[in-house]
Amino acid sequence: MYGGRFARSLVSDFSAMLPTKNKKQMRPSFFHHLHPPTTPAAQARWRYTLGAGGTAFFLMLIIGVTGILEMFYYIPNSQEAALSVQMITYHVPFGGLIRNLHYWAAQLLLIVTAVHLVRVVFTAAYSRLRRFNYLLGLALFILIILLDFTGYILRWDEGVCWPLITGTNLLKTIPLMGNYLYSIAVGGGEACSSALIRFYTWHIFGLVLPVVVLSIWHAFRVRRDGGIAVPPPDLRTDHSRISRDELVRREVLAILMIGILLILLASFIPAPIAPAMMGKPGLRVEARAPWFFLWVQQMLKWGDPFIFGVAIPLGLFAVLAFIPYIFPQPAESDIGRWLPASNRPAQIVVSVLALIILALTGLSLLPA
Amino acid sequence: MSDLSRNGFLKLVRGGFLWLSAALGLGGLLRFLNYDPNPAPQSEFDLGPATNFPLGTRTGIADGQFVLIHDELGLRAINTTCTHLGCQTAPGPDGFTCPCHGSHFDLRGDVLQGPAAKALNVPSVELNDGGHLILHD
Ligand code: FES
Repeated sequence: MYGGRFARSLVSDFSAMLPTKNKKQMRPSFFHHLHPPTTPAAQARWRYTLGAGGTAFFLMLIIGVTGILEMFYYIPNSQEAALSVQMITYHVPFGGLIRNLHYWAAQLLLIVTAVHLVRVVFTAAYSRLRRFNYLLGLALFILIILLDFTGYILRWDEGVCWPLITGTNLLKTIPLMGNYLYSIAVGGGEACSSALIRFYTWHIFGLVLPVVVLSIWHAFRVRRDGGIAVPPPDLRTDHSRISRDELVRREVLAILMIGILLILLASFIPAPIAPAMMGKPGLRVEARAPWFFLWVQQMLKWGDPFIFGVAIPLGLFAVLAFIPYIFPQPAESDIGRWLPASNRPAQIVVSVLALIILALTGLSLLPA
Repeated sequence: MSDLSRNGFLKLVRGGFLWLSAALGLGGLLRFLNYDPNPAPQSEFDLGPATNFPLGTRTGIADGQFVLIHDELGLRAINTTCTHLGCQTAPGPDGFTCPCHGSHFDLRGDVLQGPAAKALNVPSVELNDGGHLILHD
């Protein structure tokens, strides 16, 4: 009769995880336990946080799972890579859906991370003890951009050859260590024939590993720094708190909404795919950078590759990194409020940078 | 030096060894990653008998990596790789256009319009004893 008892206890264990009316009396599940018993209501408002950080975590999870699934079929060698992508897309049952989910979650992650960054600056949430975590977030943002680029290259179809060549040749323009960086990133040789195995390893391991470590560290620091940024207790106007259950409920709601959006995107807008790269692409192939690098491609039309392709983009991230260190600290009572006067300089800098990037992207889309 | 205590000295040695091994490890890692497993790219191309390229012809070589032009100016080869960031330029009636950032080069390879700053490379072409044209990149 051991089996029956086992089955009964299994059922009761699982049913304990389901929501019930008198949840309060039960011990919280593992997932609930990841949250503090109560949270200041101000830290959990959509209109403050936009849910961007949490959404990014959820998207990373989706990207990780779908990426692992793709690895069951993807062949990282220049002869077969594009064909294996075609196989995933057109032959493997649900392969197209998996690939589209991976693609769309990755594009959304880039957008959500950018929104998160802007939100943090616009609500003065980076100030004081949180500025180290701000830097961690910025590093994550850069890693995510690199992951998007390497993932795009792994398609290995004829659309990616020129962006691959120009992108990796940009490394060579860096004084002193350029060639060294190039051979570490690409492995020497002609990028369009030999870079695949390196990009594969960077994408799946070399970049993912730091992203996982930094994400966990980033989340840990949020908690260690007293949760999402709000004014210190004596300056708070709103003292209401929400329960752990309420917080989980909001998270589940967000996950549902993002999940539906992802499934809709993945079902109706397929991820880009083109014929396999066979040597260098024919000359008719349009040379266009992936959407998140269009602004760099636009600047490169103006001249010196090192200045426009390396120095300015890196300088832009340097400016972002210095924001909490060079501008006057926002007033403590302003932390967590949208567009407070006390961190106006930072808001202006970030808005100007964002507008420049958007304008350049728009410019690059205009017909020549 | 005399007030360097036994403990301080040990601490210094320990720190020194830690940093040294970190530097050695990093150096080794970088050298490991820096190896180029690819064969050196081909730098010599046998183009066949010179008579195959009469006046007024233009011939793409090695997947269009070079163009052999024979016109009033003489016989010459041009490396079509853009000197800006390495895309392959497309030959047109009066020069070469880069698909990546729009550089223009004339039929001698000189820059007509940036962003490229340098002219296209002109590899040397010579006639060997057998009457074949040999291109040296
Ligand atoms: S690579 Fe030719 S113009 Fe930039």
